[in-house]
Amino acid sequence: MTLTVWAYSESGQVASEVAAAAQSLAGTGKGDAVEVMVGAMSDAGPRLPNALVLRGMSASENTPESTAEAICRATSKGMPSVILVGSTRNGREVAARVAARLGTGCISDASKLTLEGESLIGERSAFAGKVTAKVVAPIPCVATVKVGTYPAAGKTTANSVSEMDVGGFSPKVKVLKTIRKDARSVNLNSAKIIVSAGRGVKKKEDLAIVESLAKSLGGAVGCSRPLSSDLGWLPEEHHIGLTGVTVKPELYLAVGISGQLQHIAGMKDSKVVAAINTDKDAPIFQAADYGIVGDLYQVIPAIEEIVRRRS
Amino acid sequence: MKIAVCIKHAVDESELKMDPGGSPMITGAAGKMGTFDKNAVEEAVRLKSSGGGDVTIFTVGPADARKSMKEGLAMGGDRGVLVTADPVRIDSLSVAGLLAKAVQRDGSFDLIICSEGSSDVYTGQVPPMLAELLGFAYFGYAKKLEVSGSRIRVERSLEESVEVVEAPLPAVVSVVSEINEPRYPTLIQIMQAAKKPLEEVPPSALGVETAPKVVVRSMSGQGSNRKKVMLDGTPEEAAAKLVDALRAEGVIPR
Ligand SMILES: Cc1cc2nc3c(=O)[nH]c(=O)nc-3n(C[C@H](O)[C@H](O)[C@H](O)COP(=O)(O)OP(=O)(O)OC[C@H]3O[C@@H](n4cnc5c(N)ncnc54)[C@H](O)[C@@H]3O)c2cc1C
Ligand SMILES: Nc1ncnc2c1ncn2[C@@H]1O[C@H](COP(=O)(O)O)[C@@H](O)[C@H]1O
Repeated sequence: MTLTVWAYSESGQVASEVAAAAQSLAGTGKGDAVEVMVGAMSDAGPRLPNALVLRGMSASENTPESTAEAICRATSKGMPSVILVGSTRNGREVAARVAARLGTGCISDASKLTLEGESLIGERSAFAGKVTAKVVAPIPCVATVKVGTYPAAGKTTANSVSEMDVGGFSPKVKVLKTIRKDARSVNLNSAKIIVSAGRGVKKKEDLAIVESLAKSLGGAVGCSRPLSSDLGWLPEEHHIGLTGVTVKPELYLAVGISGQLQHIAGMKDSKVVAAINTDKDAPIFQAADYGIVGDLYQVIPAIEEIVRRRS
Repeated sequence: MKIAVCIKHAVDESELKMDPGGSPMITGAAGKMGTFDKNAVEEAVRLKSSGGGDVTIFTVGPADARKSMKEGLAMGGDRGVLVTADPVRIDSLSVAGLLAKAVQRDGSFDLIICSEGSSDVYTGQVPPMLAELLGFAYFGYAKKLEVSGSRIRVERSLEESVEVVEAPLPAVVSVVSEINEPRYPTLIQIMQAAKKPLEEVPPSALGVETAPKVVVRSMSGQGSNRKKVMLDGTPEEAAAKLVDALRAEGVIPR
């Protein structure tokens, strides 16, 4: 049996990362990596030389419910060895549904995927990031690829595109409206410098201080979960950690972030970590190369001043 | 409305110890109700108090899980069903399979509330798998939900958008932490919870044989070997030291 790895994500950036994961997996097993594209999405790709475009009513809906349905139907014409899905919020649903339907195992939020005989092995964080677990599932299986852990594959010219009509489907869930979040498109995956804000920032307007420093350093803005999820000050894709993205910039500057395990899980592989926090006992200092015990409202403008003056 | 809440008795990561070899000591580790599962219980109790009905708490867990379930009952749950299997030893699909059977055995639920992810392993798989196995509608990452008649409308919080979606009941939802502020039960509520029915059901009584596909092969602690250099002085002095250090590291332009 030849090894076949399918790669899918509804998000363009993430699809590139999943494609890279599929390629590396297929490469080691001398098999094929195939980018699965559903309906309208197909215009954006492909990122792999082999692509499978699923068309039909279910495919055009593009909800996780219908995407999972489309992928399951596609497997009936030939089961792949591994189905990789980008671990976005919708992607996790697609993967779990497909695994439940096909009765296979599902490794979630994997960062390093390898093959060993008839098994897929993935590494993932567990216990709030205190632990790295090696998880094994027999092939065929499904896995979600943690966002930000694989370098994105570039676009390619497909040399083999097959289309499949997966037929009609009436979903239970109806989308009434999609409201875009305050979009300041970021790509933390490729940012060399990230200045990341936490609850030490008192008001949404004060994020301007952090943004201004990030700009003068030529970097991007990240944040802890409460800022995006609980307070809604920044879109969700800025949030770093277990439930957000994984980043590994040259410099990670954490300001007003306490450094809980779940946050560290997303930035621990940064080259250099610096932290500014008023609390000398904040755990972030244990995970930093350089620490300043101080008020971000004083220290950040001071850093910016020096950077501007000397450049 | 008949509401089910699925909560996990999760390993308390702050109490988790490492053995000398650097592996976590999972067996016998202290547990606590999953952090976000409190939001799930809170939402169920709020729905009950606005629209009537009852709330059943389901857990697949060891005997010790009664502790978390009691907490859920103190928050306002009416009864509990503990499926006695240790989730550390089985995988998400097995947990979802046990929950599906336990829910079906217990009657016809209109709504099953889970959280976006358990606080120890955070796979986010159990809720959509449960929906898939039950054939219910599913909404992941709900930041707001509204039931009117036999329909449910949910605002889903996604990375770049909020999606407003609707489906007929029955449904499974997973909630995010921003949906509500979980209550702290009062002493009286805690005492009353001790008298609420809490049934234990072995997997065999559900006719389920758990054969996990996904297994953990090894685990190791994530150590940090950072320099931990503290830079002192006035804000200006500390800032200057930091800029110098970062330039010396070559991570910011000179
Ligand atoms: C299952 C689960 C998953 C999670 N996933 C994530 C995740 O992916 N990412 C994430 O970030 N969190 C995550 N969390 C939440 C995490 O546990 C913490 O609650 C969160 O990281 C805290 O954010 P914070 O550091 O911004 O806020 P806080 O913990 O409130 O810390 C604020 C810090 O700012 C400092 N401060 C205050 N004023 C100033 C000032 N003027 N100048 C400088 N410093 C100041 C304080 O001393 C404090 O250390 C998760 C939680 C759970 C249960
Ligand atoms: N063992 C369990 N018992 C009951 N509910 C669970 C269990 N495991 C997971 N869940 C539910 O599924 C959600 C997501 O868990 P997980 O898929 O493990 O991230 C949890 O927040 C619970 O609502």
